Amino acid sequence: MRVTLSTRILAWLDQHRRCAYSSYMEMRRRPMASIMTLLVIGITLALPASLLSLLKISQTMTGNHQQNASISLFLKNGIVDEKALKVAADLELRPQINHVELLTSADAMEEFRSHSGFGDALDALDDNPLPNVLLIHLTPNNSSIDIRELAAELKEESVTDSIEYDQGWIERMQAITQAIRRAVQALGFGLGLAVMLIIGNTIRLEIMNRREEIEVTRLVGGSDDFIRRPFLYIGLIYGLFGALIAWLLVSILLMLVSGPLGRLAELYDTAISLSAFSLQALLLLIPIGISFGLAGAWLAVSRHLSSINPE
Amino acid sequence: MIHFENVSKRFPGGHYGVSNITLNIESGALAFITGHSGAGKSTLLRLIALLERPTRGQLLIDGRNIGRLPENEIPAHRRKIGLIFQDHRLLNDRSVFDNVALPLQVRGFPVREVGKRVRASLDKVGLLKKEKVLPITLSGGEQQRIGIARAIVSRPPILLADEPTGNLDPDLSHEIMDLFLAFNQLGITTLIASHDLDLIKKLDRPVVNLQQGELR
Repeated sequence: MRVTLSTRILAWLDQHRRCAYSSYMEMRRRPMASIMTLLVIGITLALPASLLSLLKISQTMTGNHQQNASISLFLKNGIVDEKALKVAADLELRPQINHVELLTSADAMEEFRSHSGFGDALDALDDNPLPNVLLIHLTPNNSSIDIRELAAELKEESVTDSIEYDQGWIERMQAITQAIRRAVQALGFGLGLAVMLIIGNTIRLEIMNRREEIEVTRLVGGSDDFIRRPFLYIGLIYGLFGALIAWLLVSILLMLVSGPLGRLAELYDTAISLSAFSLQALLLLIPIGISFGLAGAWLAVSRHLSSINPE
Repeated sequence: MIHFENVSKRFPGGHYGVSNITLNIESGALAFITGHSGAGKSTLLRLIALLERPTRGQLLIDGRNIGRLPENEIPAHRRKIGLIFQDHRLLNDRSVFDNVALPLQVRGFPVREVGKRVRASLDKVGLLKKEKVLPITLSGGEQQRIGIARAIVSRPPILLADEPTGNLDPDLSHEIMDLFLAFNQLGITTLIASHDLDLIKKLDRPVVNLQQGELR
């Protein structure tokens, strides 16, 4: 027989295809056991994945909020409206600043009068005590450090009396999410190891069940690669299907929280698309599931196959 | 083809499987190995297939000393050998076809070639019609013939059979021996361990007689 490279490759591909298929059929022969294992893997993977998704969602919401961040700059007394407008125009040249709104002392007084109910008391004052205020709307994508630096610079301006910005809670929120993210990553790593061990143990049982087949394959000259292959495929299939189950669970969870989250997002004046997070989770889960599956199978195979030799 | 030179196999615990064997099997020969059970017949065959490693001496196959063959070269070595066992060692959860196809699959043969060769092989042992059944549904003699089909399907240069007729009645034993003679005519070096002395006498071939692990 003439063996060309292409027939060799075709034979190799065919072997892999048949091997994957027979591994799949092998799992279907014991459906309950396989499904139980898949559920365990799925739930274990779903836990960190759903936490990560929720974390991403909260980040998106605070991130959007940061886009609307603004700084209030209170001008010193005696700065007239024309001067204030000029300062506003100068500030708008800065890259971090989107636009600047002037709230004159008269405007502020009017607003205060109509909202506070202290109209009569205000009439008793000789002067308007309220300063002119510049409402500085920032461009999106400023980091909290950018904002802090800008605020410091603005404070040094000669026209500035004082400034205020509600940066504190954003920073705290970011610190908290950072901490939670670390914790979720550590948890994810631990649960990933658990998945690896679950799959490893399943493969170990599979190897014991197929002891005779392994022995006979060794007798007819099957290489370690050939003997290893079906077990690696079983690991891969467990990882893949486990990841799909995990994704299903994450999607269900996202659907459950979509109502309350939608209202929360409305309050923050943002819109979030949960399907994007669900897709992201899928793209993350599949490679992770497959690699943990393969790693678990490899672990079991390298520990147990060498101990099986034909009598 | 197969050359033993002062080969011994000492098992852990001090018991000798074979002891100080010097023996030469020419390429294309068919020889019998006889002796009581425990005389070392199986050990001799197992050494050739590297199911055991010799503890002393040189075992040359095709001019190569296999005593020190690295682990990862054992599969390639076993592909030169067709092995037949008294208990067949067929996989009972697979069809006859899949059992016979296994040696070709481990060699990475293309599917069409596998089909052709498996059927040719089953045809030679007269069981072409049984390819779809499970081995367990066949009689002892038929199962042994499937085992033989599996051993020859990859056309190895060496055939080793350990008590291939051990569980069979005289007529079936004759049939099996005729198969070996036919394959040997094709140039396959064949070693058959057996204690069926009557049958061996009729066939008039070289006989290696072992007693307590030593040549007689």
